[in-house]
Amino acid sequence: MNSQNKISQSQKLMVFVLSMSLYGLATLFTELIPSFQVGIVEFSVEYFLFIPLTLAMLFDPLSAGLGAATGELVFSEIMLGQFGGLGELEKFITVTIGVYIAGRLVKNPRNRAVVAGASIFGVFIQQFMGCIVDILKVQFAVEDFEAVAGLPESVFFTEGFACLNDVLFSGILFCMLPTMFLVPKLYGKIEPLLGMKPRDEKTVLGSGGVSAKTVGICVIGFIAAVAAELLATGGFELIDWEASWAESTPAMIVAIIAAAVVALIVIGVVRSRAKVDKAA
Amino acid sequence: MRKLSENILDKISIDFLRNQVLKNAYGNDDTVIAKLDPRILLVWYLFFGLVPWFLNDVVLLLGIFIFVALTTRAARIAPLVLFLFCIGVFSQTGYLFIVALFFGGNTETIVPLLIMTLKVAVVSLASITVFSGLDPDRLANGMLWFGCPGQLSFSISFAYRILPVLMEEFQNILLSYRLRGNPPSKNGLAGKIRYLAYQIRMIIQAFYPLMLNTAKRSRTTVEALELRGYRHSIQNPEVKKMKLAMLKVTRADLIFVCISIVWVCASFGASAAL
Repeated sequence: MNSQNKISQSQKLMVFVLSMSLYGLATLFTELIPSFQVGIVEFSVEYFLFIPLTLAMLFDPLSAGLGAATGELVFSEIMLGQFGGLGELEKFITVTIGVYIAGRLVKNPRNRAVVAGASIFGVFIQQFMGCIVDILKVQFAVEDFEAVAGLPESVFFTEGFACLNDVLFSGILFCMLPTMFLVPKLYGKIEPLLGMKPRDEKTVLGSGGVSAKTVGICVIGFIAAVAAELLATGGFELIDWEASWAESTPAMIVAIIAAAVVALIVIGVVRSRAKVDKAA
Repeated sequence: MRKLSENILDKISIDFLRNQVLKNAYGNDDTVIAKLDPRILLVWYLFFGLVPWFLNDVVLLLGIFIFVALTTRAARIAPLVLFLFCIGVFSQTGYLFIVALFFGGNTETIVPLLIMTLKVAVVSLASITVFSGLDPDRLANGMLWFGCPGQLSFSISFAYRILPVLMEEFQNILLSYRLRGNPPSKNGLAGKIRYLAYQIRMIIQAFYPLMLNTAKRSRTTVEALELRGYRHSIQNPEVKKMKLAMLKVTRADLIFVCISIVWVCASFGASAAL
């Protein structure tokens, strides 16, 4: 424990490892808990986000958020082979930001009202960004999105409904209530295990937890998130636009052969680099 | 019906889950896929994970789908993973079809949705082949070679090691709660709902001791890492080179790449001919 109430690098790594393993375990379970389908309304235990939320409110929020996102990626996506490539980046960013903002909002972990408000706000941010990205993803993946009868409305409806459903059902039941229960209970007990002081007004933001500063950081984080999402979808658009000249099959074949050649060149570089490394 | 549900519940016990995950991680390192170079497989995944999104031809997508299905078979993936894959594909596009019908769609809706389903299936089967077929340590090394942050490759190796321990501990805590608890009766619909709520509350409460135990364990882990100079070593290129010296491209890798290229070209030929 150092005198300046600062969190050391190794303690950040501890929070990262803790958040990663716990949330990873929980997501592995939620992958397997069945969901009830009542008509088109789906009631499912969407996720156990209360674990990183609790940790973010007690420890360094950024490490907890990053750890949770990594844990989900590694445990439930890579281990079970459900790694979706680009799509995982979006979930990684949204989970990190949601948890980070929720953790930043709490100054006194013993205040249950603040804890509850912050956790539901974090869930809402995460779900809302995920919802927007989902709608855009379907729009770009299906050719002639507008032309398919009934598809646009159904996508907007199901995604919007899923978002609302997740916030109200999973958000309250599986994030807000457990966080309200766990944060005050763990406060002061779990910190000494990692060799830290419990969070209070002095330790929350280094020197003096000014709320304006917190809000400013949140806004910057949010803008960064939106920018990242726009960049990701912009990338989709760019590739989509490039592909539109290749409507004829021969052009497509040429493109694929070019891609194969590029892949081969990459492999060649890999080999030569391996050789150079061996020689060096 | 009751027997069936009991049978299914039997299958998804925590022990079963642990065995499947362990089998998936370490049980199949003698397959063709597991022996390939992780870097080659990652490049291969880059192709099969990106290109299908830009193809819109059913025959072509079917050809690629058959190929990745064969590679998945060659990697001998655990049944649980395949089951989850099927559920995932259905939940991504299958239900959309039903909803589209509900909003006045017709059979023409099938074709774009079939294309989308095939795209999703190809991409996820390719990822299953690469990420489940490979030994976690080899996978982590391959990712490290491509410049992924050291934290990620550490997380992958660490996750596979720690998961069985964590699962066992969670199960023990849950059992001790169950021994001490007094579950409500399951009679009637209200009773069933109350029972379910009780179960879920118990799972959430079980995380309280688990969090404390894991905090202790993660401190031990990090301190052990620090003692071996972990944070210094992930930034040091010398250490990285030593760690990655085991990666070698062999003839089997080249054969695998050639087969992939030939198959994709043949699929293109088939789609052009039809």
